[in-house]
Parts: sequence; structure tokens; C-alpha cells
Amino acid sequence: MAMPLANKKKKKKWQTYAVLFILPSFLLYTLFVIVPTVSSMYLSLTSWDGVSSDIRFIGLSNFVEIWNSERVHNALKNTLLMAVVLVLLENIVAMALAIFVDQVRWFRNLFRSVFYFPVLLSGIVMGFVWTIILNYNFGVLNQLLDVVGLGELKADWLGNPDFALLSIILSTVWKSAGYYMIIYLAGLQSIPQDLSEAASIDGANRWQQFRHITFPLLAGAMTVCIVLSMISALKIFDQIAVMTDGGPGFETETLTYIIYKVGFGELRQGFGTALAQVLFVLIMIVTVIQVKFLRKREVQL
Amino acid sequence: MQKRRKLNDILLFAGTLLLAIVFFFPILFNIMSAFKSNAEIMKDAIAFPKGLYLDSFKYLLMETEYPRAILNSLILTAISILFMILLIPMAGYAIERHNKRWTRAVFIFFLAGMMIPFQAYMIPLFKELKMLGLYGNLAGPVMIYISGSVGFGSLLYTSFLKGIPREIEESAEIDGCSKYGIFWRIVFPLLGPCTATLVVLNGLGIWNDFLMPMLVLPSGQTKTMIVEIFYYVGEFSSRWDMIFAGTTMSIIPILIVFLSLQKYFVKGIASGAIKG
Repeated sequence: MAMPLANKKKKKKWQTYAVLFILPSFLLYTLFVIVPTVSSMYLSLTSWDGVSSDIRFIGLSNFVEIWNSERVHNALKNTLLMAVVLVLLENIVAMALAIFVDQVRWFRNLFRSVFYFPVLLSGIVMGFVWTIILNYNFGVLNQLLDVVGLGELKADWLGNPDFALLSIILSTVWKSAGYYMIIYLAGLQSIPQDLSEAASIDGANRWQQFRHITFPLLAGAMTVCIVLSMISALKIFDQIAVMTDGGPGFETETLTYIIYKVGFGELRQGFGTALAQVLFVLIMIVTVIQVKFLRKREVQL
Repeated sequence: MQKRRKLNDILLFAGTLLLAIVFFFPILFNIMSAFKSNAEIMKDAIAFPKGLYLDSFKYLLMETEYPRAILNSLILTAISILFMILLIPMAGYAIERHNKRWTRAVFIFFLAGMMIPFQAYMIPLFKELKMLGLYGNLAGPVMIYISGSVGFGSLLYTSFLKGIPREIEESAEIDGCSKYGIFWRIVFPLLGPCTATLVVLNGLGIWNDFLMPMLVLPSGQTKTMIVEIFYYVGEFSSRWDMIFAGTTMSIIPILIVFLSLQKYFVKGIASGAIKG
């Protein structure tokens, strides 16, 4: 009889400790993540301006407006375009960088650090640097084009709607490729050397080795990189804030940027939260689909 | 064959070097421009600085609120990280070791947070902070940062704890050590690599964060460094030298921390990404 009682007492003690250990995180997380998330679902059905205490319920009107608004459509188009282009470019550049760093004979660690360093900097800081580099009158890029005699290619990279989005995309690739490079590098280093050796003895050239050995075996790293780069592309904000402020006009607005603009610039927080729901759903769908599809093509060794 | 091999190596090196120059140029350009006067930047953006022009640093540090902003960023980062280390590993430990139905439910509840983008709940959060009287107060962002990293943090710690045998904890318990003591004296030191990852990744994220601090600490005494830089871009739109001095001051600490803790950055990403 004594044993179970002692056991029970011990269990009870465990229980209270577990509760005490988890409670602070649980409370904070509930209060500052879950409560606002749940209340955003309600706020999206109101016409609240963010200031007054008058929160009027207007049903699905905000979502009807989203459905009809040209501006939102443009932002949505930009978001999706950016997501697709960024995922492609970031992964291609990251994989190339990883292969270069993996193969190069000298200064390997230095190169890795150089490619990785932009990841560590704030989007605001790097956005500003790129704004100056791309400046029409005094910028480095136009100056360089002049020097090499390609003066006619000069453009107002951030003021011209044709180039503004592209400029943001390319500077983002520069900033984040290093992050995915590290993941690909870890993937490359886990591929056993003897596979490529065997292939090269069989007469496979470098491209064939990459195509049939390296690439399929990187699928695991690729799943992770595509999911992460897609999610961060959907959330891109800092660069836009500092490089174009969504302009010229509303040309370079994305979903996250329009949420901020509408909610805090135009004081339509009900509408802003409705847009936020769209973003939330978009991110959930993308994550679930990607994980499902991409897991399938992973090759297990 | 030997010769071709060598040629290949050199070509590869040249290619990598070229890429490295392209990647490093914007950072070099930033640091270089900070030591140039505005006229120098406008005249020839690419040229090396003629001398060490330090006036923009002096001006920023003496005449503006920039030192205050640097201090705010430091305080915000340090305090948030400190509380994260105090709270999240404990939760992860209880979830992993006290494997019951309710702790598993809590774990899933925490993980769900990793899917919710900050923008999805920022507007109500803003309202909530005002209601709680935390608007414009550094305590608000501290709590938001801790809450925001509960999901990733508990994932990180639970998966790491799976690899640590329980025997040590059990023998300590027989010796009469309390659960609290077991955790802080025995388990926590073993979690070192995990904690380093958490500190490095979150510390960097907080130091660089822009949107949230801009929303909840917008003016006066509590602006962070990045928010201040953002306002300078609008305010001193034609005084690039000043902004470059500001951005350089935000880059230097990152450079120092990165060079001294490099392996944790790399390891953190590799482990975090592959697990998550």
C-alpha cells in the first residue's frame, strides 16, 4: 500500500512542477499571440478606425471590398509574383553559392561568411543602402553603367514602375540567399563522396553528376528552403518601407504592406485586419501544400 | 589531367571571388560612405574616402537622440533574451519530460503559433497594448518577443532534450534535489548549444526588428536604432552621410558578434531549419 501512495505523491509533485514550468510561457503566449489572433477574426468584421471606441459590426463588407478593390488586387498580384520569383531566384542563387563554396579550394570559410553576412543585417539598413546604389542621379549603378559605356541603359530603378518591383526583388535575393546557402551546404556535406566518385568512374561528367546525384539528394534541403523562402517572401516588409513606400502610386504594395498602410496610415483597422486574415489563410495554404507535395519527391538514402 | 584539375580549381576560385565581391560591395559601400562627406558621396559614389571624415558620427552622437536609440535597442534585446532564457527552456523541459496528454496538447498549441504571421495579429495586438497601458513602454515589446518565440523555442528545446538521458536527473532526484534545482543545476547547463542558438537567432531578430517597434515605440524616448534610422531616411533625405554613419553603427556590433560566435549562427540555422 505504501508504494503506490509514494508514487502518487511523486506524480502529484511532478504535476505541480510541470504546471509551474509551463505557465509563464503559456500565459504570455496566450495573451500576446492567441488573444490578438482570435480578436482579429472579430475585428475583421467591423469598420473600426483604430482610435474611437465605436466598433461597429458590418458583417462581411470588408471582404466584399477586398474582392472588388483594384488596389488590393494589385497588392495581391505583387505578393504572389514576388513570392514565385523570389523563391525561384533565391533557391537558384543559394544552391549555386553552396556548390561554389563546397567546391572551392581556398578561403572556403571566408567566402561562406561573405555570402552569409547580408542575412544578418536589417532590411531597413540594407534597403537604404540599395536605395542609394540605385539612385538615379548619384547612384552607383547608373554611374557604373556610364563608366562602361552603357549609359543608355540607365534608369530610375525605384521611381519607374517597370523596374521598382524588380529592384526590390533583386536586393532581397542578395540579402537572403546566404541563409538558404547554409542549408544547402549542410545538405551537400551530407552526401557521401563515394557516390560522385563511382559516377565519375562510370564516365559521368560534372553536369550529369549534379543532375542525377547531387540534385535529387538535395531534395530534403530544398523542401525546407522553398517553404521558408516562400513564407518570408509573403511577409516581406522592411525593404518596401524604405525603398519605395509602396510607390510609385500603389505600384509596389504587397499584402503585408497594404495591411500596414490601411491600418496605420489610413486608420481603417477593421479593413486592415480583414486583409490580415487573407494573408494568414494564404500562408497556411502555401505551407500545407508545399510540405505535402515536396515531401513526395525527396529521395531517402 | 593534373593540369586540367588545377585550371578548374583556379577558374572556380575566380568565379567565387567575383561573386564574393558582388555580395560584399553594398556593405563595403555603406562603411566607406560613412567616412565621406555628403558632397563626396554625391560627386563620386564609388570612390574611396579621401580621408577619415568623422563629422557625421560626431553629429549623430552629440546632437541627435541616436545614442539613446542605441541604448534602447541594447536594453530591449538584452532583456527580451534574458527572459526568453528564463522561461522557454523550463516550458520545453516540462513538456518533454512530463509527457502527458495535457502537455502534448500544450505543445501543439505552442507550435500553432509558428504558423501565424505577425501581420495577421498586429492590429489587435496594438489595441491590446494600449489597453494594458504598455504602448510606448519597452515592457510591451519584451513580452511580445517572448511570446513570439515560444513556438520555435519549445520545439528547439524539446527536440534537443530527447537526446539527453534521464538517468542523471533520476539520480539527482533520489538524492533529494527538487525539480527546480534539477532543472537549473543539471539540465540547463546541458542545454548550452540550444540556448546559444536561441540567443543568436532571436537576438539578431530583435536587434534588426522594425515593424513592431515602430508601431508600439514610435516616438520620444523609446525609439529603437532601426526605427530611428528609418525616420532619418525621411528626415535627412539629402544628408546621406548622416544616415550612412547611422547604419554603419548598427552594422558594427553585428559584425563583431558574428565573427566571435560564427559557429552558433551556422549551426543554429542548419539545426533549426532541418528540424522545423
